[in-house]
Amino acid sequence: MNTNGNVYTIVYTTIIVVVVAAVLALAAQGLKSRQDANIKAETISQMLTAAQFATKDELSKMSNDAVLDIYADKISQAFTVNAKGEKVADLSTERANLELMDALKGQNSAMKKGGDLTLPVYIFDKEGTPVTVVPVYGAGLWGPVWGYVALDKDLKTVVGAYFDHESETPGLGAKITDDPAFRAQFVGKKVDFAGEAPLSIVKGGAQGESQIDAITGATMTSKGLSAAIVTWLKAYIPYLQKVAPEGGMDCCKEGESCEGMDEGCGMDCCKDNNETTN
Amino acid sequence: MDSKIKETILNPIFKGNPITVLVLGICSSLAVTVELKGALVMALSVTIVTALSCLVLSLLRNTIPMRVRIIVQLVVVAMLVILVDQILKAYAYGIDKQLSVYIGLIITNCIVMGRIEAFALGNKPWPSFLDGLFNGLGYGAILVIVAFFRELLGSGTLFGLRVIPQSFYDAGYMNNGLVILPPMALILIGCIIWVQRGIQKDLQEK
Repeated sequence: MNTNGNVYTIVYTTIIVVVVAAVLALAAQGLKSRQDANIKAETISQMLTAAQFATKDELSKMSNDAVLDIYADKISQAFTVNAKGEKVADLSTERANLELMDALKGQNSAMKKGGDLTLPVYIFDKEGTPVTVVPVYGAGLWGPVWGYVALDKDLKTVVGAYFDHESETPGLGAKITDDPAFRAQFVGKKVDFAGEAPLSIVKGGAQGESQIDAITGATMTSKGLSAAIVTWLKAYIPYLQKVAPEGGMDCCKEGESCEGMDEGCGMDCCKDNNETTN
Repeated sequence: MDSKIKETILNPIFKGNPITVLVLGICSSLAVTVELKGALVMALSVTIVTALSCLVLSLLRNTIPMRVRIIVQLVVVAMLVILVDQILKAYAYGIDKQLSVYIGLIITNCIVMGRIEAFALGNKPWPSFLDGLFNGLGYGAILVIVAFFRELLGSGTLFGLRVIPQSFYDAGYMNNGLVILPPMALILIGCIIWVQRGIQKDLQEK
């Protein structure tokens, strides 16, 4: 048979392409549920790390189910807010149907273009204290960088943070993920609601409560991550300001009812009060 | 074992090593050798892809139209690479996250196409499979050697475990940041080529 004829060539390549496409489609279909479960567990373990429930190493040794169990156990509320800080929708926190809002890329471009925002807020219960975890997303040197920042119940003090990246340089930019000392700097910092940069990464000596030292040899990644944190926290400030307790840490004074209080602000303690007054 | 098969197996490991002698696949060997774990997974992935694509294309070799053979090779190689990537995503997510970009780049790894063109299209399936397998292993061996030195000197760890004791750091020892960067990998590969040519005199140019 002449394997160099035009008809043969066209038929042959068509068959090859169709066969290859079928194999790949089958594989993608078959593996999809497992991959999605991995991605979900990874996202959740990043949040749990930011909120300091466990270290990333501990979580990555666990099975996906174990990570989801911890999340379901610790989460108290998850919902989305818009740019004005108003609640949009609830995210399910049922163990069987855990909902996450992880389409951060779309929200990031909406922030830049000024479109409608739907920003996720995750509130964990850490030994009675509500810890709020919010995501950040932006561009590093080679690809996207993202992460989670956990805030204490005053919604200003940073409890912890975790960052991840797609393709930053190992040993340099990748330190945003790999270097515990860099991440430890965030602990105890305060988000500046009024400032130009609520929380930023700066070169050459961080000053004050809202600045973090950049990574040596990773200027572009540090800048990108800093921009991501500034942009995202700014988008969250309307919500944070609305919900943050004025003056002190105590959200709800004894005997007070829930009426007139903002959502997310120690709702549990209010409910208890209501029940006792009833 | 007849001598031809033996030659196919032994040649790529040392005498005709794809990296140090054929100088193929240099780019990825610079990129993924910062840590041993990544290098090992990459070596394994390349070995699987090379072996299987040599096998498949050797089976197809008499049917492939010569005018479009490169594109047919590419389609088969790309399919296998995507399969490897998908399987890693499902079963070794952490490692895949680390290597993702480079796994995709196996498609353009010269070793795969090089071995298909040079060997698989002219030989029977079994020798082609072995040729692909051992070329992958030869590539992997260099990767692991380079990664060993880079991780040890650059991060003070092996497979992520600390091997240089804290007392060294206390005494003023510092990890070498240059080793982490790609140029140092090239220098290390240069050293390996140097050693190999010292042993194997017939490779030396006059």
